[in-house]
Parts: sequence; structure tokens; C-alpha cells
Amino acid sequence: MSFHDFWDVLVLGAVLGSLYAVIAIGYTLVYGVLQLLNFAHSEVFMVGGFGGVIALTIFVPATDPSGLQSIAYVAVGMLFGAVLGGTVAFFLEKVAYRPLRRRGAPRLVFLITAIGASFFLYNLVGKLFGRNPMPMPSMYENKTVVTIFGSTISVTQALILGSAVVMLVAVDYVVNRTKLGSGIRAVAQDPEVASLMGVNIDKVVSRTFVLGGLMGGVAGFLFGTTNQVFYTMGFLPGITAFAAAVLGGIGNVRGAMLGGLTLGVVEAFTVEVWGDAWRYVGAFAVLVLVLMFRPTGILGERVARTA
Amino acid sequence: MLNKRIVKIALPVAIGALALSACGSDDSGGGSSGGGGGDGSGFTIAYQGPLSGPNAQLGINMENGVKLAIKEANESGDYDVTFEYASGDDRGEPGQAASAAQRIIDNDDVIAVVGPAFSGAANVAAPSYGEAGITALSPSATAPDLTEQGFPTFLRGVPNDGEQGAAIASFFAEQGVESAVVIDDLGDYAVGLGNVVEEALGEAGIEVQRESLPADTVDHSSIARTVIQSGADAVAYTGYYAQAAPLAVKLSEQGYEGIGLGGDGVRDPEFVNLASGAAEGWYLSCPCRDLNEDEIGQKFSEAYEAEYSTAPGTYSPEAYDATMMIINAVNELGDSADRASVYDAIAQGEHDGVAKTLTFDETGEYAGSGIYIYEVKDDEIVSLGNVEELVG
Repeated sequence: MSFHDFWDVLVLGAVLGSLYAVIAIGYTLVYGVLQLLNFAHSEVFMVGGFGGVIALTIFVPATDPSGLQSIAYVAVGMLFGAVLGGTVAFFLEKVAYRPLRRRGAPRLVFLITAIGASFFLYNLVGKLFGRNPMPMPSMYENKTVVTIFGSTISVTQALILGSAVVMLVAVDYVVNRTKLGSGIRAVAQDPEVASLMGVNIDKVVSRTFVLGGLMGGVAGFLFGTTNQVFYTMGFLPGITAFAAAVLGGIGNVRGAMLGGLTLGVVEAFTVEVWGDAWRYVGAFAVLVLVLMFRPTGILGERVARTA
Repeated sequence: MLNKRIVKIALPVAIGALALSACGSDDSGGGSSGGGGGDGSGFTIAYQGPLSGPNAQLGINMENGVKLAIKEANESGDYDVTFEYASGDDRGEPGQAASAAQRIIDNDDVIAVVGPAFSGAANVAAPSYGEAGITALSPSATAPDLTEQGFPTFLRGVPNDGEQGAAIASFFAEQGVESAVVIDDLGDYAVGLGNVVEEALGEAGIEVQRESLPADTVDHSSIARTVIQSGADAVAYTGYYAQAAPLAVKLSEQGYEGIGLGGDGVRDPEFVNLASGAAEGWYLSCPCRDLNEDEIGQKFSEAYEAEYSTAPGTYSPEAYDATMMIINAVNELGDSADRASVYDAIAQGEHDGVAKTLTFDETGEYAGSGIYIYEVKDDEIVSLGNVEELVG
């Protein structure tokens, strides 16, 4: 593999990995505060993709948009993706998980509810919008924006990488520097003490879901710009992002970012060397290997309770 | 408690009834096959193919053709018997094919089946149909090995992929292609077609690189990179349109300038729609002719459009022909028609249809030929003609 090839594959992996990282944040935040594996998060991602595509199908009339129009389209798509993702996550928590929490249901019940909610959501979307893939309307001319070491980065790739970095920095800031963030961390460490100290647990949990949902929704839209949206699109990226969260250390926000990027890059190199049929074999072999030697993930479960 | 008493009585009754009905269906399954024909009134023609899932459009194209034929036959008044329709959705997946086939077989009114539509599903379902003695006349399953396995009642109403592979190779040679990448989706149909294309290209002296892109792939940038890095001047994708579209998008995004070609699984307007512009200039090969060529074809298109307010899709006319062939066979046999006699009549018969004349050899293989090349021009799939004329 030449240096040029190496760089090319690294870019592909980073684009994919940054999407995984953004989705993984949703898994890891919720796990941090509730120790809940929210498998329905993949559907939040899917709904975000549909939100973006449907909004753009309505709003994009021009075939050759100007630069300013292009930016507006992308903004509209992201906004609708985020709003729909956040809304679905909000109601998911309210309808599916909160009643269980009130009754002190066992962990297993939460897990089954999560899987049930996932099936419900993707079948509902399939019923409402059809089971055929939907293409993303073309929002801009996808030319090369920059060439680094002879490998090109297209508008779409730059868009995904750029927005992922912005979102990851923002979520890191929210968790570590804001009042909501200290609430999230407090609930993650010890919900009982947090509530004694005046933290409104229900509010924090709800906002954690929404925060993860906003990011998942935008990720869904970004995913749609490079592929298409379809009702089962959440499954593989969702499972991979969940694995990324575990790889980095579940409950740990920076771990999710690192895990996502790692899995994306490993996938890209696996495909480069052995072909597409080996994609997940390579990525998940790395996951198993890392967890063998570091069962709590690369960075450990920092935000979560240790006991 | 009343509730408990009801349960106590109801449970044994229910179990008894279940046991009885199970015996009942066992008996009738073997004995009076096609019992619905007994009173001379109704026969059911079933269709098996994908009606949901990522490649549903290909299946719906054919279902519409089947339904149209049944409707026309019933309304024409030319037939002494009436026909009904039953569907078996297999999502185009081998895993769903057996249960879809079983539902059809268990329906005693079913006299013959159009399908299975996809090769992978046909491989799984054909033995079951064989056991039940039901004709499975596929308008579209093109994997060559389907007729080599001795399935007792499987008939193929379309030239197989062996011929399509050779046609693609000669078309590439004509275009001056020196090296090509062949990509399958690891499914029966795509691997089968990929194998014959790879072999035919090799025989034509074209350098071939073979790749596999699993059908559930969500990221196509790596395979696009592989194609471009290979320096090949043509790529042939042998799977279905749902994966071909994002592949075409990624190829054009990464600056691929060579030839793109898809097999009959890609030849659907949905491919053009999903690829939004990136499909432009792609070639599509298909053992199906252009309907606009002559009057019979145009008449079919009009009738189809009047019924479904959309143009016929790939294999709509083939499914229509298959259904009409079954209808004619059943009608000629009249009240004595059963699953076995209908199979004999079709296997040895001939039907002058919209797409072509249907006849079969002793293995159930379509006894005819003809591969056509299409091109995507201005978001339309346009016929370039029969490959033999193109290559000359």
C-alpha cells in the first residue's frame, strides 16, 4: 500500500468513523445516566435521515443551486434531522422508558422495551414512507474542496467531517462545562445523592435523550447525503456505533468519539485489504481483541458509576 | 369461576379441532390437487416474488403484469373458467422463500405459480413446488444452475445468465474495453451472473478483477475507490438496483470516468431515480426487449398504464406472458385441469406472448434467445437494441 493509498483510505475511514462517533454519543450518554442500552437509538438516527430528506424534497426546487442556496439547503436538512431526532428521542424516553423507571422495572425489561421500540419505529416509518430507499435531492455540486497528499476530499466528505467535529466539540463542552453537563455527570455518578443535592433527575434524563437525539438526527441526515435513506438504515450503523461506544468505554463521551473513529478507520482498511465482504469481520475482531485486554474499553467507563 | 370453566372446556375442543384440521389438510394436499377446479368455476394463479424489502419494485412490476393478465382474461369473456390471484411475498430473499412457497402450496385452489422472481429464492422454493406438483414458471430468475438441478416443475421463461454474460463481454469488447471490474452482491443471482461475465470477459481477452459488495452494504466509498484504483475502464455490477444506485453515485463522486454497466436486476427506473443523475450514461443489459418496437408491445404498455398509471417495468410483460400461458393451458384443459396436467400442457406448449414466444426444452430452460442493451439518457432508460445487432 503506497502512502497515497494509505491517506485515501484513512480519509474514507475518518468520514465513516466520525458518523459512528456522533451516533455513539447518543448510546453512551444514555448509558451514562441510566445504565440503559438504548437500542432504539438507531431508529432515532433513521428518523433524522428521513426528516432531512423529506424536508429537502419539499424545499429544494432548483436543479443548479447557487452557493448560498446550497448552504441553506444543508442547514434546512440538518435542522429537520436534528428536530425530528430530538423529538423522537424525547417521546421515546417519555413513553417507553419513564413509566418503567417509575415502577423500578428490572434492567432486562428496559432492554426488551428498547428492542421493541426499535422494531415499532422502523416498521412505522416503513409503513408511512414506503420500504423503498429514498434518494437525497442534490443540494450542491459535489466537487473536490481540498487535496491533501494527492487524495481528494469532496464537499460531502468535508461536510460530514466538519459537522461531526463541531458536534463532538460542542457535546464535550456541554457535558464538561455547563449546568446540564454537571447534572448529567452527577446523575451518572450517583442518582440518589444527585437528587438530594437538588438535581431534577427526570429533567436531566429527558434532556440527555434529547441531546443524543439531536446528534443522532443530524448524523442520519449526513448519512443520507452520502447514501440514501431507507427504513432499515439504522440497523448496521447503529450496531456499529454501539460497538464503538463500548470500544471507547461506554458512558464515556470522549471514549465514544475515539471508539467511533477507530472502528471507521479499521473498517476502511479491512475493506481495502480484504474486500467489502470482510468489512465487519475486521472491525469486530478489533473490538473483541481490545475488550479482551481492556474490558472497560480504551478510555474506561469514566462518566458512569464504577460500582 | 365462569372464565376458568370456559377455558377448561374450550382448550380440549380447540386442540381437537386443530388436530382434525391438520389431518384434513394433509389428506387434501396429496389427494385432490387443484380441487378448486372441481366445480368448473375458479382457478387461482399465484405469484411469488419480492413485494416488500429493498428490491420490491422489481417484484411489483411482475405482480402488476400477473394481475393485469388475470383481469383481462376474466373480463374478456373468452374463457369458460374464471381466475383469481394470490400473492406470496418472499422479499426476494432465500430465507423467506420456503415459507412464501408453502403458503401458496397449502392453498388448494392454486393451479400454477408465476415465479419465484429471484434466483436465490427460486433455488429454495423450486423443490417444494416440485414436490407439490405445481408449475413454477419464473419470468425472471436467470441463474444458469436453476435448470441444471432437475427440479421437476420449474420452468424458466427468460434466457439465462450464461447468455447475458456472453452478451456483456462482447459488448465490452466492442466498446474497446481492455480491463474491467466485475462486482457481485454475494447473492445467488449476482454471483451466478458475475461468474459467467467474468469467464466471458476472460475469453474475450479482457483483464478482469472480481469484487464482492454484500447486499446490505451501507457505505460504498471503499468499493468505488477500489474500482478507480484498479484503473479499469469498465465496471459491471451484477446485483440489483438498490445497491447499484449508491455505487453509481459514489463512482461519479470520486471521479470515475469509465463505462458503467448493470444487469437485468438494475434495469429499473428506480435505479435512475435513486442515483439522481449519477446513472447517466450507464448501460443496462437485459433479456427483455423494448416494448415500443412494435404494436403488440405498445398495446400492452397502454393497457398497463391505464391500469396502474405508470409505464410497465422490467419483466412486467414477461410476467404477463407467463400468466397468459397458464390461463390458456388451464382453459384448454377445462374442468379436468389439475396441477399435474397444467404442468404437462405448459412444459410442452408454446405461447406467442407480448415479450416473446415462450417454449421450453426438456430441462425447463427457455428455448430461445435475445439479450438487449439499454442506456440511461436524460434520466430515461433507452433501448440500444439487440446485442447481436450492436456488436455486428
